[in-house]
Amino acid sequence: MKVTMRLALNCTLAVLLLFPTMSSFAAQPSLTCPGNGSCASPQPDQWPTNSVNWNLNPDSSKGNIANGLNFRAVLTSAFATWSSAPNVAIQFTQGADCSTCSETNNPQNLNFICFACADAQDFTRDSETLGVTISTSQPGAGSFAQITNAFILFNPADCFTDINGGSCPNGASGNNQIPLQVVATHEIGHLLGLDHTAVVRSVMFVSASDITTLSYDDVAGASFLYPKSTPDVPTSSISGTVRLNGNAVFGAHVFADSTTASQPFSNFSSIRKTPIGAYTIPGGTYTIRGLPADSYTVTAEPVDLPVQDSDLGLHDAYGQAVQTNFTTRWH
Amino acid sequence: MRMVRIFAACVLCLILRSNLNATMIVPISVEELTRRASDVVEATVLNSWSAWNPQHTLIYTYTQMQVIQSLKGTSQSITVKQIGGKVGNVTQKVAGVRQFQIGEQAMLFLRPSQAGDGTHVIVGLMQGNFRIARSTTGEMIASNGVSGVHSLQQGKVEHYAGASMRLADLESVVRGALTQ
Repeated sequence: MKVTMRLALNCTLAVLLLFPTMSSFAAQPSLTCPGNGSCASPQPDQWPTNSVNWNLNPDSSKGNIANGLNFRAVLTSAFATWSSAPNVAIQFTQGADCSTCSETNNPQNLNFICFACADAQDFTRDSETLGVTISTSQPGAGSFAQITNAFILFNPADCFTDINGGSCPNGASGNNQIPLQVVATHEIGHLLGLDHTAVVRSVMFVSASDITTLSYDDVAGASFLYPKSTPDVPTSSISGTVRLNGNAVFGAHVFADSTTASQPFSNFSSIRKTPIGAYTIPGGTYTIRGLPADSYTVTAEPVDLPVQDSDLGLHDAYGQAVQTNFTTRWH
Repeated sequence: MRMVRIFAACVLCLILRSNLNATMIVPISVEELTRRASDVVEATVLNSWSAWNPQHTLIYTYTQMQVIQSLKGTSQSITVKQIGGKVGNVTQKVAGVRQFQIGEQAMLFLRPSQAGDGTHVIVGLMQGNFRIARSTTGEMIASNGVSGVHSLQQGKVEHYAGASMRLADLESVVRGALTQ
């Protein structure tokens, strides 16, 4: 049985209006606080420019790349998934390969991707951890924190394949095979500064399944962090407040779901129509950004499975657990 | 059924509170965690601090634990090293790693860090970290509910809700594994 938890807060908005900007976030970005601990106004993580360089450690000697897989091309394709998204102004440039780059040797502070790096948190001792993303950020002078570095490590003990599978050189089989593009597309979303979304079938959903194409929610998140000055598809926002018995609800997932068959991103064939979500901040306010003109049903739901507090940076950023004790309904 | 789901959700929400980014894992059984670990302990978090590695490329968070009960190994006080944390204004976030909160309890499956620095690391990056919390019915529940990660099972990537069970049951599984 599909399990969906919803708060009894449903309203239909026929036409979008441009609401004043509020300090809440659509399609949750990663958050950074100045100083130690949590804070009242964490900043979304963002690269300081719209051009991000990445470098590949091309060492495949650990045998974790399927025979014949052009992993460089797969990674380039995964980056292009994001840079070609509508309304998103981010470009990736592949720099020179760095065959010596690792998590302990990165004197030029490169944003590298490595298939042979051995030992961050001893994680490669267990083949069950397929890959990790490590990003570094600092508080910014404006509204955003600045990402200063990020790198992605794929576990040398596993085997990364084409989307249709492949033959692994070291005999890895069964659980130890994974399509590289699935992992890479999701991890690059984190590299961009995106946290998890609660919108199912988004690349940035906590379980991305076999998805390699972006959803409306993914586009909304990326375009929030890296907006085009002239968007391909004009969008607006819906703002509001979630209250329970008159009290503000923190950490509710609020999403706008189209009630029509409209396909506003139809010129971008690989973009999949999904709801677009946001979370309420302390005070209960939310702003769902990146909404193309359409009619929407807005629903608020507790973050209590399949996405949970633990999946999100809200708790650490604001220093309080998200509230999940409101009315739920399964259907 | 509905109440069961509500209860399960409440328990999980009590247990799971951290910042998880995605990573991808294959679930490891408790028996296998036990086999791989040098120490299996129930411990309380005393304090933690973060520091750069010597190469200034990684921030590690060190958490000092007071061992309440040791199921495997003889350590009484353990320092757990995890990647990620904050030093000054610099924050490093790591996919799949949740930091400990002072005062919380956990059953940990640990082994010495390869760095040979006297610290221990969690087996399976985060899978060997079972947080302990009391349910609304008073039972002690342990979970490594790494729901922010993906699992790869039989070639298919799926959501992984983690293992959640009564602490007594978890202890029993560990003890059973130790006799094998």
